[in-house]
Amino acid sequence: MPIELKGRPITSGFSRGKALVSKNPLSFLGGVDPKTGRIIEKNHDLNGKTLANTILCFPHGHGSTVGSYVLYSLVRRGVGPKAIVNETADPVVVAGAVIAGIPMVGKVDISQIRTGDIVEVDGYKGIVRILKGEEESCI
Amino acid sequence: MYLTKEEEGIYEGEEGWANQIAMRILVKLGDLFEADRLIPIDSAHISGVSYKTIGDAAIEFLEALANAGAKSKVRSTANPAGIDYNHLEEMVRTPKLHERQARIIELYRNMGINPILTCTPYYVRRPREGVHLAWAESSTVIYANSILHSWTNREGGPSALAAALIGKTPNYGVHKPENRRADVLVKVETPLREEVEFGALGIHIGRVLKDEIPSFEGLLRPEETHLKHLGAAMASTGMASLFYPCVSCPKSSDRLETISVDMDDLKNAFESLSTTDASPDMIYLGCPHCSVEEVRRIARKVKGRKIRDGVKLWVCTSRYVRRKAEEYVEIIEAAGGKVISDTCAVVTWLKELGVDVLMTNSAKTAYYAPTMNRVETVFASLDQCIEAACQE
Repeated sequence: MPIELKGRPITSGFSRGKALVSKNPLSFLGGVDPKTGRIIEKNHDLNGKTLANTILCFPHGHGSTVGSYVLYSLVRRGVGPKAIVNETADPVVVAGAVIAGIPMVGKVDISQIRTGDIVEVDGYKGIVRILKGEEESCI
Repeated sequence: MYLTKEEEGIYEGEEGWANQIAMRILVKLGDLFEADRLIPIDSAHISGVSYKTIGDAAIEFLEALANAGAKSKVRSTANPAGIDYNHLEEMVRTPKLHERQARIIELYRNMGINPILTCTPYYVRRPREGVHLAWAESSTVIYANSILHSWTNREGGPSALAAALIGKTPNYGVHKPENRRADVLVKVETPLREEVEFGALGIHIGRVLKDEIPSFEGLLRPEETHLKHLGAAMASTGMASLFYPCVSCPKSSDRLETISVDMDDLKNAFESLSTTDASPDMIYLGCPHCSVEEVRRIARKVKGRKIRDGVKLWVCTSRYVRRKAEEYVEIIEAAGGKVISDTCAVVTWLKELGVDVLMTNSAKTAYYAPTMNRVETVFASLDQCIEAACQE
């Protein structure tokens, strides 16, 4: 049985992919290389990882509102996340998800999700399903 | 959030992609903050104009909006850009930067946004008391709420732009009277006279408060320019978007949790804003952009003097104020200073201009410049700035 995490629907859409999970807040402006989707924020637990085609799970955004445009640009270039899962939705990430056209769910207990898990994001209902744990998905 | 039939139509795309995406931003943010409806705004002020701060990512989005025929429905102004095209000899010389910056300004202009590029749009046109606004730029927001008594949340670039295109903003936060009450009393136990002291107070209070609204006691007949520096500094280190400069102001009350601020607090905040005591390459006045009165005050102090060799004096303001203060501009420029408009030291390519040490009377600039511009800062009073700038 997949684990179902109930959250709050923010932007609509449906997506499935591998989770990339962080314990740290993320600033898209300055924190992510807009050309490659690589995380460059110093001392960030995802430093060096790329966002491309991930289900990006992090507590919340921080920093400049220009971050919304960076998220748009990442997704348009094909190096952005497929969906966003946050503990607390903040205006920068919400506006970014709207203009990038990707599903977003807030108020999710992201400590339940591990990097590498296959997850499904339902932006209409605000539900995140963990379909396979990291080990299973590696087989 | 309740939407009218017309708003619903825009949300579903009946008025094209640009309006749809703008409406979606407003509705999603409105839902997030539990707004009940959209309310009409008097004007919008948009941040995210300097190519140095927004880069190519934002241009891609603005191009898409402009291509889709986006047009502002209300009076809209925009923040400073990275280049003053009337003072190119003072600016970074990279042609690509000039082109990209010009494109951003053109895109905003095409959307009907007034390309008067300033963080003090209220000197150009002062909104009436009690109107609702959707303003971005934290110093502009706190000035609007606290001094102009016009109401705006602390918008970001995208939400202010969306509000401009729709002519409305979601009704939450300080748009509601019940969220505008002061909830902490700040007793200032030492008299403040100059903008640097007000700036240091703002830096200190911004750090101490979370999202409380402060009411100040002990500010003796402060000038609006002093309060501008107080607010700009407070919004730099904190989340504040509203303060009351005196306890007798409306909506303020005397039964509040109290914070006392003494000379030591101010001294610590003041000292935290300098990273060096080296002599400056540039003296920068005009963050936030100067009023006519501030330009006049600077002119009076430099009249008949000469700026030192190898030192730049930049006074930044809007084109509008620059024109109104023309006689003072002439005095400053005769001394060898430059009155720059459409940009400022923080959002231009300062390092590329050979600036390593920046001296300023602005607490906001002193707070941001070390990280945003990678320069050392000296935070000093207007008189000290003028002495450092001028020959003996």
